[in-house]
Amino acid sequence: MARNFGRRTEGFIDMDHRTTQFARVLLAGLLALGLAACGKKTDHAGDVATLIGDGWTAYRLSEYSNAILAFEAARAAAEKGSADWAMATYGLATVWDLRRPGEDSKQATQLYQEILAAAPESPMIPWTELALARQQHLVPVGQEPDYAAVNQAYRHILDQFPGHLAAKEAFLYLQSIQLAQLEPKSTRAAVAQLEDFVAREKKEFLSPAWSLLAVGYHTLGDQEKRLRAEKNSFETTEVDPSDPYIEFAWAYWNLGTIAEFEVGDFDLARKYYQLLIDTYPKDIRVYGCKQALARMDALEAQIRAEEGI
Amino acid sequence: MPKFLQSALAFVRTYFALLVVFAVFLWSAFVIVAFRSQQTPPGSVVIRLGHWQLEASVREGIDEMARLYREKHPNVVVIQDAIPEGTYGQWVSTQLMGGTAPDILQVGAMLPANIWLSYYNRYFFPLSRYVNAPNPHNAGTDIADLPLRQTYKDGMKTAYVTEMQEYMSVPLSLFGVRIFYNKDLLKQLTGRDEAPRDYRDFLAVCDQIRAAVNADTGQPYIPIAGSQYHFAHWDGMMFSPVTYGAFRRADFNRDGFVGNDETFVAFKTGLLDFYYPPYALWLKMLREVTDYFQVGYTGLGRDEAVFLFAQQRAVFMTTGTWDARSLQEQAKGQFEVGIMDFPIPSRDDPVYGEVVEGRIYESPGGGFQFGVSRNSKNVDVAVDFLLFLASQQGNEKLNGIIGWIPAIVGTELDPLLQAFEPHLEGIYGNANFTLGGNTAVTWAQRYSLYQVNQISFDDFAREYTEYYVRTGLEDFLEQQRDWRRGMQRNEQYLAGIRGRAILADQAAAAARTPEEQSAAALDAESAWVRYRAITASRQIWGELNHARQMDLVKRDKLPEGFVGPYEYSSNVLAKIRQRLRDEASK
Repeated sequence: MARNFGRRTEGFIDMDHRTTQFARVLLAGLLALGLAACGKKTDHAGDVATLIGDGWTAYRLSEYSNAILAFEAARAAAEKGSADWAMATYGLATVWDLRRPGEDSKQATQLYQEILAAAPESPMIPWTELALARQQHLVPVGQEPDYAAVNQAYRHILDQFPGHLAAKEAFLYLQSIQLAQLEPKSTRAAVAQLEDFVAREKKEFLSPAWSLLAVGYHTLGDQEKRLRAEKNSFETTEVDPSDPYIEFAWAYWNLGTIAEFEVGDFDLARKYYQLLIDTYPKDIRVYGCKQALARMDALEAQIRAEEGI
Repeated sequence: MPKFLQSALAFVRTYFALLVVFAVFLWSAFVIVAFRSQQTPPGSVVIRLGHWQLEASVREGIDEMARLYREKHPNVVVIQDAIPEGTYGQWVSTQLMGGTAPDILQVGAMLPANIWLSYYNRYFFPLSRYVNAPNPHNAGTDIADLPLRQTYKDGMKTAYVTEMQEYMSVPLSLFGVRIFYNKDLLKQLTGRDEAPRDYRDFLAVCDQIRAAVNADTGQPYIPIAGSQYHFAHWDGMMFSPVTYGAFRRADFNRDGFVGNDETFVAFKTGLLDFYYPPYALWLKMLREVTDYFQVGYTGLGRDEAVFLFAQQRAVFMTTGTWDARSLQEQAKGQFEVGIMDFPIPSRDDPVYGEVVEGRIYESPGGGFQFGVSRNSKNVDVAVDFLLFLASQQGNEKLNGIIGWIPAIVGTELDPLLQAFEPHLEGIYGNANFTLGGNTAVTWAQRYSLYQVNQISFDDFAREYTEYYVRTGLEDFLEQQRDWRRGMQRNEQYLAGIRGRAILADQAAAAARTPEEQSAAALDAESAWVRYRAITASRQIWGELNHARQMDLVKRDKLPEGFVGPYEYSSNVLAKIRQRLRDEASK
């Protein structure tokens, strides 16, 4: 082996210098090409708004490292405390908070706090407060949230930013926690709050608020009000203007069964069962709806026969 | 020898291996470039399409459709990459990550659903705007003005990705399962020209077949070619729908289905047991029919059963539309293949009549779905080709060649496949006896033993119920331990939509013209509605649903005055009676 190696080395030394140089250049070129093809680092230049847009696009595509680069570049380019700086910092905090894997909750909290301290007038403040509250609520697997602290955080948002979408969202989380106790006292309190909300609110989160109210009425055993709340929830469903197609098969079934079994309002039950059959003739519950229509007819016929009417 | 040649020889000797690799690389590159340039004349738009359907008819079908498309668009060339199922997942991952993915890719299987979700999000082009507009290739037909999704038999529901609130793919075919039978053998052994449609007749025919012996080989005939793969067809399509009626007792949340938590509580509180007629008769039917499978079928795979059928040793075998054409081809010249629906008991059947309410509901969900890669340099052409395949005429033609069921309304079905027309109204199974972990393992063991008659029904019912009621709650709690993880995933997704919506608000505020302002405002409104819809449907209910589920599964007895979910309480009955009296007195 040693002798062979020596012969080869000797041959190599004897080789024409230009050939060697050419071979080296060729190999180096191929290597460089290969490395260049391995990937390119995202170049983050441009104005702050573009960088922030790039950051959110990268976040949505789960390109977290690129999102961090873009948000960091935007943060560095913007004036500390400005609206752009707050938005870039919020984006950066969101990535560290919610990326999986590789999350860093502490860093996220620190960044959220930094926004509160440095940009108190920013429009991102309500969303930042909501993010901090959600961090306390959505604890890692195996842990239980400190519900007192969570409730306090949501209430703080309600008090500080009444009418803001973040506050409406916080309100629904808060009522959901109260209703989840499934006992009358907290349910009554949540129902009162929700009734007040649906009386004031015209659009945003109105449908889920009615839906939560229906749960509250169910827990309290008031089925008439439950049916009315479910109906209102269905009728106030928001429609996406870019995709107006929403399937209501489940809503029709839900309303039909509550009307039939909880309230005994067969007219309303028939209306919703029939709507499901007509609107969604290929739905899995069509057979059940036809059974329900026949069942109600049979019951009415039986009662009429018993009563002689 | 000149010094130059000596040096060159020495160089070759030194770097021989490297040079061979380099030469092979150059040769491969040359061959690929030459092949591609032969397929794609200069100036043509190349659309690559990757899929896992290696059936010859699928490739033929796509080639023919590409040819027809080229008649309208002479500069478009469609090239297929047909990748085996076993490696499709890895292939698609490397292509997408490496930025070399074909323009169009088959999606929705061969990888876990959560992986597809992340790929859709990252690598695929949302198709919602095409889905809500008419398909231009339907011009001149009766569905010319309908939005694309309404031209589908299933409303295009399998293409919609709820987590993204977007349509991400274009399905092209429907699938179904039926029983195939050897018409010649059936005639020879039973004298029947047609297969029996009634359950009792079917069992009688199976008895006749089992009693017959092949005169040449001396071997008995097997009524049904079965395997563990085929058992799933029989159970899903014929046996388990018998359990439909269980919803009347245990669908506590009245959503129309009996969940595993509801079944567990119903067993714990004595509302249900295996002697409840829908469950007892499901297990009875299972045993009755599988007795006509070949011995040891549970240890066999799909191919062994197909072999028995192809060798004309068995008369019946289940399979799906995906195999219809190839089975027909295999049988050509040897025997005639018939296709029949699953035989169900009649309503006056003395045993099953009380529980069999009809045929199984078959969801007409579209498969053979294709998405458009973000890497595509010709997104519009790729989408247009898919729309061409999803047009009334195109879809009928494509599926006619492949031998599958078209996904578009108003299309003609291959006569062979008419028995596959889905039942759009019917019943479904409500049997769900496992809660994860140990109950799943124990169920699999006991159920397998029961299938092969190694354990009696009474022993099966007693042993599994004891175990289920004793350890079910533990399994359920373990499964529910990470219920918040789903909410965290939603939170991650929602933050992205929120970010987009805030940016859209800013864009609307900064718009220079009324048109720009209007478009930006619509975009912002759409993003905020989506944000609120997902927040409402996913995040707000998490806490509440978990609490309600835990409250349900921990119940050991029914509340006082319990009324079944599909029964009327005395109060409601009194109210209805009063209403009828009032109506009569008017």
